[in-house]
Amino acid sequence: MARAISTKRKSVNTAIAGTLGFLMFFPILWILILSFKTEEDAIRAPLQILFDSGWTLDSFAAVQARSDYFKHFSNSVIISVGSTLIGLMIAIPAAWSMAFVPSKNTKNVLMWMLSTKMLPPVGVLVPIYLIFRDTGLLDSRFGLTIVLTLMNLPIIVWMLYTYFKEIPGEILEAARMDGASLREEVLYVLTPMAIPGMASTVLLNIILAWNEAFWTLNLTAAKAAPLTAFIASYSSPEGLFYAKLSAASIMAIAPILIMGWFSQKQLVRGLTFGAVK
Amino acid sequence: MAAHAEADFRTRLQAWLPKLVLSPSLALIFVFVYGFILFTVYVSFTDSRILPFVDKNGQQTFDLIGFSNYEKLFRLSHWEIALGNMAVFAGLYIVICTAIGLLLAIFLDQKIRGEGALRPLYLYPMALSFIVTGTAWKWFLDPGIGLENILQAWGWESFSFDWIKNRDFAIYTIVLAAVWQTSGFVMAMFLAGLRGIDNEILKAAQMDGASNWNLYRRIIIPQLRPAFLSAFVILAHLAIKTFDLVIAMTGGGPGRATELPATFMYSYTFSRNQMGIGAASAVIMLMTIAAIMIPYLYAELKEKK
Repeated sequence: MARAISTKRKSVNTAIAGTLGFLMFFPILWILILSFKTEEDAIRAPLQILFDSGWTLDSFAAVQARSDYFKHFSNSVIISVGSTLIGLMIAIPAAWSMAFVPSKNTKNVLMWMLSTKMLPPVGVLVPIYLIFRDTGLLDSRFGLTIVLTLMNLPIIVWMLYTYFKEIPGEILEAARMDGASLREEVLYVLTPMAIPGMASTVLLNIILAWNEAFWTLNLTAAKAAPLTAFIASYSSPEGLFYAKLSAASIMAIAPILIMGWFSQKQLVRGLTFGAVK
Repeated sequence: MAAHAEADFRTRLQAWLPKLVLSPSLALIFVFVYGFILFTVYVSFTDSRILPFVDKNGQQTFDLIGFSNYEKLFRLSHWEIALGNMAVFAGLYIVICTAIGLLLAIFLDQKIRGEGALRPLYLYPMALSFIVTGTAWKWFLDPGIGLENILQAWGWESFSFDWIKNRDFAIYTIVLAAVWQTSGFVMAMFLAGLRGIDNEILKAAQMDGASNWNLYRRIIIPQLRPAFLSAFVILAHLAIKTFDLVIAMTGGGPGRATELPATFMYSYTFSRNQMGIGAASAVIMLMTIAAIMIPYLYAELKEKK
């Protein structure tokens, strides 16, 4: 909204908005700071915590020693990247078809697909659990990867569709006129233009899969447990203290802290089902 | 002749190709969602437990029992509590998130400095997983190791804050954590709505001497109706799906003070081996979300046409 706002009002508003933003971000920041502190320092008065010299990596080492962080980390990477890649392979052709060869039902089909993402996962938990149990897929990375692929497939198809839609069809037609085969058309013309959109989709989907906890908690135990299950094991805090708990949290969300910064737009777009572009 | 046949085949293939490549996605989503939901509905009509459906002798381990799971479900005080908690949680969560989100969006829309840096700050919590933030909130609110303990250690000995351990207040701590996580995200939805409002109308209203308050009350907020609607639908479905946050923060306790339908379903299916009743509760949740979602989608589709 472009309206005239006085400089003074503007400064006041900036200050208020900044304070609110800081307050919302503060818990994350505080955990980040505590994770680098010794246990003794972590419970001192706030200013002492900030300016004391006791910066240490001990807590991270302690968490790794207690619950093998790297195993959970690699499970998380394999499951989130794996489910995203498999999802892409299924979704790219579908999105291509809907974006470039739309039928009169395309919009409805998309809406329908997307709406399935809103349904609660408990609705399909029983059959999936039973299938997993009877086929020995419980607590396997493969099984969890497949479930997350299926869970997020609607979002992937739809995200790709919206990005493909922005690619002008004339360019593809021109390539066809020049005698490019379908394969060449897809490989050399479409793909380079689609890469930014695909990257956004991948980013969003990795975050969604990384954060997924419902299926993780229900379908994995020790072997295939990703970081969401790792952190859940810290939810009974006996014997652990602030610095270690903070370190465990930071270790669980580290990749998201970085990726989250770059993927705000996609996150909003994906989680509002396109209500916000 | 052969060349002609091949060309014919190729054109037919090209005509079919779009449908062909679309079908795997459609089929997977269809089976995975609707097929499995149908199965859940079926299980909800049986007295099935978590056991295999067929025992060693090839005997079926369950019977169809009609609606009695649903009858049982609605007689369970446990389920009643879960529904009551859901009403409190969803009501507060939706109202508070909408209010905070709207206020933040209005603030950010005042052409403030550094908006580009602030927006990600507001949005950050939403990028994190509920299970991590829930665990952190749990420690923070725990009287033994959290806020209460710290403030007492710093000298405020009479300070007490034990809501998370208190049957009457625990549900509000879940609301607190969920609101913190989602408000920035709701802000983004309203901000997009605010940015979409026609400037000319606002300028005209300002020329006519409308005060800021009236500008918002009479022109801007009414124009945000679509944003309110999507915010409501998205928050409502998030509320009904809430599971990991409760598992991380309270595990449904103390007692059943924070039991929600999703955690109820989980505990009946897995801890108590009452899969039929668990499935029945899942079906009720599905129908609730469908009742919110279908009119919304219908309106959206009509608008887009």
